[in-house]
Amino acid sequence: MNIVFKSVLLLLLTIFSHSAYSRPSILEFETEVTVASWLFPESPLYAGQKDNNYSIALESELYAEWDKGDSFVFTPFILLDSYDDNRSHLDIREALYSWYGDDWESSVGIGQVFWGVTESKNLVDIINQFDAVYDPLFKTKLGQPLTNLTLIRDSGYYELFILPYFRERTSPGKKGRLRGDPEFSKGGTKFEGGSQWTPELAVRWSNSFNDYDLSMHSFFGYSRAPSIDVMIVDGQLKYEPNYQRVRQIGGTVQKTSEATLYKMEWLAKDGQKDANFRRGGYFSTVFGFEHTLYKAIDEGGDLGFLMEYNFDSRRSRSNDSLQDDIFIAARITLNDPDDTQMLFGSILDLDGDGQMYQVDFGKRLNDSLTFGVKGAVYQNGRYNSNLYILRQDSWVEINLKQYF
Amino acid sequence: MKNLIKITLFFITTFIFSLSVAFGETPEEKGLRLAIEADLTGDGFIDTVSKSQMTLRNAQGEESIREFSSKTLEVENDGDKSIFIFHHPKDVKGTATLTFTHKTGPDDQWLYLPALKRVKRISSDNRSGAFVGSEFAYEDLASQEIEKYTYKWIEDVPCPGDEQAKCYVSESYPVEKSSGYKRRVSWVDIEEHRVRKIDFYDRKDKLLKTLVFSDYKQYLDKFWTAHTLKMVNHNTGKETDISITETKYQTGLKDSDFNRQSLKRAR
Repeated sequence: MNIVFKSVLLLLLTIFSHSAYSRPSILEFETEVTVASWLFPESPLYAGQKDNNYSIALESELYAEWDKGDSFVFTPFILLDSYDDNRSHLDIREALYSWYGDDWESSVGIGQVFWGVTESKNLVDIINQFDAVYDPLFKTKLGQPLTNLTLIRDSGYYELFILPYFRERTSPGKKGRLRGDPEFSKGGTKFEGGSQWTPELAVRWSNSFNDYDLSMHSFFGYSRAPSIDVMIVDGQLKYEPNYQRVRQIGGTVQKTSEATLYKMEWLAKDGQKDANFRRGGYFSTVFGFEHTLYKAIDEGGDLGFLMEYNFDSRRSRSNDSLQDDIFIAARITLNDPDDTQMLFGSILDLDGDGQMYQVDFGKRLNDSLTFGVKGAVYQNGRYNSNLYILRQDSWVEINLKQYF
Repeated sequence: MKNLIKITLFFITTFIFSLSVAFGETPEEKGLRLAIEADLTGDGFIDTVSKSQMTLRNAQGEESIREFSSKTLEVENDGDKSIFIFHHPKDVKGTATLTFTHKTGPDDQWLYLPALKRVKRISSDNRSGAFVGSEFAYEDLASQEIEKYTYKWIEDVPCPGDEQAKCYVSESYPVEKSSGYKRRVSWVDIEEHRVRKIDFYDRKDKLLKTLVFSDYKQYLDKFWTAHTLKMVNHNTGKETDISITETKYQTGLKDSDFNRQSLKRAR
């Protein structure tokens, strides 16, 4: 990681020396500070864990753009947690230099990339690692070192990514909730078939045809989700994350038909170990729809219904909790001056292996302050499943975000 | 090419008009002719860039401010392409939409969410929905294409708020089922085809909103742009003002400034 920070420093120095002889035409600096409290209504399972915790997160963004179309964005992030040392961390979300022309764009540095169309899970979203300790709903991602070239042609957008360094998923420490027992051992992570510095490669094509949006991608590198090695060291049980090299192809389809969006993501992957530590190929998909009733609430609020099915051909051997599950959700967008939005979702395992409920609420309190409530309830997980591990860890987050 | 078609159309309608003077032009024919004439005055703008401030005011007089900019590109033989970018409040800063307007059928629309770096294809069926919680609906701010309405001329009267000028009153009926309106009644000055006022009637044909345009300025000796727009909702007593703080015509925007890649870097 040290080396990553050094490379960022080098990049920053290059940028600043560059800006010294050519002044940027746009220069912006902004900061957001989030204070959050996590409440766990149920008592912890393991010694050392707490009922509640508090955190403060700071994210700044420096943006510079030059007349000829070059731009640089630098977004450092720091999270401080009241108890869990593993949760407190520093990350560079972005440190990206970009150039573009009429039919191409290129960037180098640390970036954030989103791929996908569905709502319950984005199977194809492979470039960035999740910041799982900051956001257990898996929407927030760690910065990924990358170089990118995007070509824009009539036949579609062609993206090439070379990823020189692999980011490990963040995981809770001994005092943290939302973990198994014992917590992941520090420094024991394995990178099968290489090291964190073994380059990864991704290519993607996407295009729109009238009301269809299509994409296809291929990826060679480490799986973003680890499998877990169980070890006995000096008579002590240890869990160690183990990342395997995978090869995958996948795609997305979205059809936009009046107020209904039909969505699908699919993936065929080879090389990853399943929950029984067997390596093999598998196929997974998520598909469904989102239908919105515009102006259904009050003076102008929208009410949306979402339904998606998640399938993984490994079924019960899958290390993904969503392997034969239905996601049903309601999204309310009030369209009021405070931008009040909420999502209520439930994930039901069709084999009866548990349910998960989630809520995500947000509104603006004033021009530079927002308020949010998020949470998840984990119920009835099959013995030793991911859901079972979280059985006492249902949580609610209350947060305030101030923009400067 | 687009111009050529429109001019041809104009001459054909003028021809039909001169014929129909003999036989009598129906109010619908006159409404369409006036709409085409008005549309022609805006033709050839090539591209525009503007910055706007929006003031939302509820019935109690409490205000909140939005700031956004927009870029529009004229497209031959189809509707315009446009990008809206939000600047204020800060939690929505960087949120942007890309719209390909089509003369017939639904528009194509994408939304960029900067926190997630996600470009989302969205339904253009939300045209009747409130634009960022304001009294403007998306369809009020969308590029106005002739084909999206049918027309009917009503009468010629003095312009509202400007008795010296003469206006024609014309009704337009949205073609798209997803529109929130049954009809719009517009007051447009005869001299320069500047819209002075629009009354919006909801699906039940009840007067819903009134929009008044003012502070017209002319650009490039041709294009008239209103710099103040005031919308009043008669149901709720809420108001929204748009003040256009900056407008530029023919800035040299290209087709490549209006794709999903450029949406991500729009500022």
